[in-house]
Amino acid sequence: MSTSILARPRTARQKEWRRHVLIYLGVIPFVVIAVFPIYWMAITAFKQDPDLYRMDNIPFWFNLAPTMEHFKTLFYQTNYGAWIINTMTISAWVAVITLLTAVPAGYALARLRLPGAENTGIGIFMSYLVPPIILFIPLSRVVASLGLQDSWWALVVVYPTFTIPFCTWLMMGFFKTVPMEMEEAARVDGCGFLGAFLRVVLPVSVPGVLTAVIFAFTLSMQDFLYGLAFVAPGDQKPVPVGVPTELIRGDVYYWGSLMGAALLVGLPVAILYNFFLDRFIQGITGGVGK
Amino acid sequence: MTPSAHDRARFSVTRRQFVRTTGLGLAGGSLATMLAARQAPAQIKGSNLRILTWSHFIPAYDTWFDKFAADWGEKNGVKVRVDHIPHLEIPARMAAEFAAGAGHDLIFNGATILTRIYFKNLVDLTDIYEQLGKKHGGWIPAAKSPIEVEGRIYAIPLYYILLPMLWRKDLFDQAGLKPPDTWEAARVAARTLKAKGHPTGIQLSHCNDANLNWRSLLFSFGGSETDASGENPTIDSKEMREALKFAKALFDEGMTPEVFSWDDASDNRYLASGIACWIHDAISAYRTTESTNPSVFKNAYVGMEPAGPGGKRVSVAAPNVFMAWKFSKNQAAAKEFLVHLMDNDKQGMIESTGYNMPFLNDTAQKPMPVLGTDPKLQVLQDFPKIVAFFGHPGPYTTQIQEVANLYVLPDIFTRVARGQSVEDTIKWGLGEYQRIFAKHKRA
Amino acid sequence: MTPSAQAGDPGAKSARVAVSLEAVPRAGGWFRTQSARRLGFGYALLAPAALYVSLLVAVPFLFSLYLAVSDANVGEQVAGFVGLENFKAALEMDTFWIALRNSVVFFVVAAILKSILGTSLAFLLLQNFRGKKLVRALVVIPFTLPVAISVLGWKWMYDSQFSVFNWVLSRVGLIGQYGTDAWPVWLGDPRLALLACILVNVWRTFPFSAIVLLAGFTSVPNEVLDAAKVDGCTFFQSFRNVVVPMIFPILMVGFLFDTVFTLSDLSVVYILTQGGPGNATQILPVLAYQVGIQAGNLGRGAAVALFLVPLLAPAMFIFLRNLKRREY
Repeated sequence: MSTSILARPRTARQKEWRRHVLIYLGVIPFVVIAVFPIYWMAITAFKQDPDLYRMDNIPFWFNLAPTMEHFKTLFYQTNYGAWIINTMTISAWVAVITLLTAVPAGYALARLRLPGAENTGIGIFMSYLVPPIILFIPLSRVVASLGLQDSWWALVVVYPTFTIPFCTWLMMGFFKTVPMEMEEAARVDGCGFLGAFLRVVLPVSVPGVLTAVIFAFTLSMQDFLYGLAFVAPGDQKPVPVGVPTELIRGDVYYWGSLMGAALLVGLPVAILYNFFLDRFIQGITGGVGK
Repeated sequence: MTPSAHDRARFSVTRRQFVRTTGLGLAGGSLATMLAARQAPAQIKGSNLRILTWSHFIPAYDTWFDKFAADWGEKNGVKVRVDHIPHLEIPARMAAEFAAGAGHDLIFNGATILTRIYFKNLVDLTDIYEQLGKKHGGWIPAAKSPIEVEGRIYAIPLYYILLPMLWRKDLFDQAGLKPPDTWEAARVAARTLKAKGHPTGIQLSHCNDANLNWRSLLFSFGGSETDASGENPTIDSKEMREALKFAKALFDEGMTPEVFSWDDASDNRYLASGIACWIHDAISAYRTTESTNPSVFKNAYVGMEPAGPGGKRVSVAAPNVFMAWKFSKNQAAAKEFLVHLMDNDKQGMIESTGYNMPFLNDTAQKPMPVLGTDPKLQVLQDFPKIVAFFGHPGPYTTQIQEVANLYVLPDIFTRVARGQSVEDTIKWGLGEYQRIFAKHKRA
Repeated sequence: MTPSAQAGDPGAKSARVAVSLEAVPRAGGWFRTQSARRLGFGYALLAPAALYVSLLVAVPFLFSLYLAVSDANVGEQVAGFVGLENFKAALEMDTFWIALRNSVVFFVVAAILKSILGTSLAFLLLQNFRGKKLVRALVVIPFTLPVAISVLGWKWMYDSQFSVFNWVLSRVGLIGQYGTDAWPVWLGDPRLALLACILVNVWRTFPFSAIVLLAGFTSVPNEVLDAAKVDGCTFFQSFRNVVVPMIFPILMVGFLFDTVFTLSDLSVVYILTQGGPGNATQILPVLAYQVGIQAGNLGRGAAVALFLVPLLAPAMFIFLRNLKRREY
């Protein structure tokens, strides 16, 4: 194929080609930016230590043979396995709690014309202005009084404080895009408020709900401070707390294991993420751009 | 015949009571000791002890410590749990535990010493402090500063981490340089070797090593941060000016701008990469080269704290202490454990492969464990005489801790290195110190 | 007539419906009316979220306000009232002003970069192309990695000796050799350090912006777009005049969330530079943490941390109220 085809595409197939090339040109830089650090972390996870500390070595590939020793350290000498399970469990619970609170709240604020709703909604969002570095202190008193100190359940209780506000607003935004006629039609048909909500509005808002789930899940994997403050036992920690606290000793950083840890937890989540993203694209026939 | 460490471990728990009442010493095999041993402290049996400590740079030390604590627990019927987090994160954890009124029984402090902030909520440990002192030849003079408040002791000093000189003998020999025994010699070496592609580096950034290293330099030049009362900043001095001028020269001639981005581990990497001609750092940097760069390991030597122009040597170190919360439901076990731990100070030092520098004079006597036998590390045995902590010659106060947390002193040296005039920088620095000191007086 | 073209009060239409239903009052008085049931249902739905937030956030927030006006330290949390003393002390600190300035710069630059990158990426992901799913999977990874770990990775990538960026750039000749002045020390040069931190923040969160936008785009009903096409709009016209107004609420929420998150995020700077070198990257949350928690002076730490709140809160309030007015 010569460049003239790119310049003046004539057939539909040529148009497709050109379109694809342009898109790839646009997309590749993003992929490189997003993925390069990950690739680099992956390589580091398999590099032997002496390989890492040489300035003349190529950072992108192995100069000495790759090794599994960092992963061995990760699994046999730290509680990494437990951390992963904790992280997944905590995030799942937090996602559930967030859904059960934020979805109804979002709907109530978006559609039910409650007096004082406006300000309540704003108030909920403004809770983000409270700095976690101050918040964790009174929260630790709450956690202790619930008897949850040093158990990962403490985090299940605390994380919704930062997932609920955003997800509530997110759901508000989504619910607003549901045409009112749909709800009214349902109510006229005798559904009642609850029925209209469950049978008409929710199914249409599945993309929004799934987006909220993704965010709740991701946000709960970002926290470091609360995990540090409330959970000390090694086997109760989630990955974001366990890894930096047990793989950095004094001034010695166990880079190989640190990077390996990041990958093992990040990649499955990214895959999971992608599965959800898939769903909502499926739910919309055709999408915006054809 | 002195009892073995094992015997001591077995008997120490109850002997404390005995020693207090009868004044008996450690002579083993005495009837008194045997009688004491039969009285197990009933009040701690069946209880829980929770210890929070840091992740030591030597993983083997942590393994030993965990087992040591578990073994003690088993022998005394106490369920012991040890948790590890990085030392920099301990203040946050302490704040949370204090707010919650619950948490661990024993908490470790290292790098950041918060005794004075929390002392009203810490168990008074003066009795066991004095015990241990009597038993083990006394404590080194610098021991009291991080733990004493209003005449009482609120924490037990465990060990401190030194930052000696680590230098590449092969590079020095090749260039015909003398060992870096004085700061001046170190500067000359850096200048000569930088030209050959081997500069030096000391962090000029916000990290703990910067706080330690520049204070060692300043104090060795005869300068100080505060007076002996700890209430008045004294950085506006002739010695400070000399130290700053020296630091500027050292930076310009012997370092690269990389040092502005360094953290605590960067100088370790610098040495491991083979570039550094010398660094002023904990022996962890030297030790890790054994696996990451064996040729550096072979050629690197440990040196005495360099002397300042007046011949003075002061090595500022990072103290590590254990304190016990008053809200702990098991203060008795906490105290027993601390005594047991310090009774086995020498063992601890061995397990740390010589990092943990002792506070107890007995352990500091030559030959010291590990250091006494390693030809390269022997010089560390001379450090206990010259070690000091933040705030020297005054006590380790909360205002000095804040000054350290905000990295004011490293900032002073950074500004001068970047070209700001010594006078202006001292004026700025003094202002920061005074503001911080004033706030603590107000509070 | 599509919803977007309707300018009237949406409440009116359903109110008319509701009134017609209410015209037949049921037995039981007001409690059985539509209004009551709507309100009952509504508050019931709202309650869990409102309770959670008020108990676990509002109350602690009041506590942190109390801390900011007291001389509390971590060891003594019931302390004396000192009025605005802590705020005054903060203003006197040279480092405070530096931190404030850096926080604002950080936020503005990051926001600009994120909007550009996020929008471009969202647009690209709207297109259909082969390998789209793979691309989507890959670009969200920065957002899914736990922050404490991915920032550590960046720390190594910015290392003064071993930086992989410098390695590449110097081999292509764009920068100098190691050891010369033309070798950038990312975290050590005051001019570069803040930018380096900003880049990490942008890297981590631009997928988030892209996803919010994408979610917004895909929530626009097809009928709306078809109608716009029928009316003769090109892609860009329909985008600007139809899609953006419809998804404005979602966009705004995403933007506000990101604002607050960026301004209060301490992990990036804490892990990379601790505020150095010489305070070049010092930002308010890191300063607050160093003063309040590490040094133990809670009162002053709280004052620094809460400093932006009186500025942000009214701005947010007005913004959000405006948002609610934009009903269609």
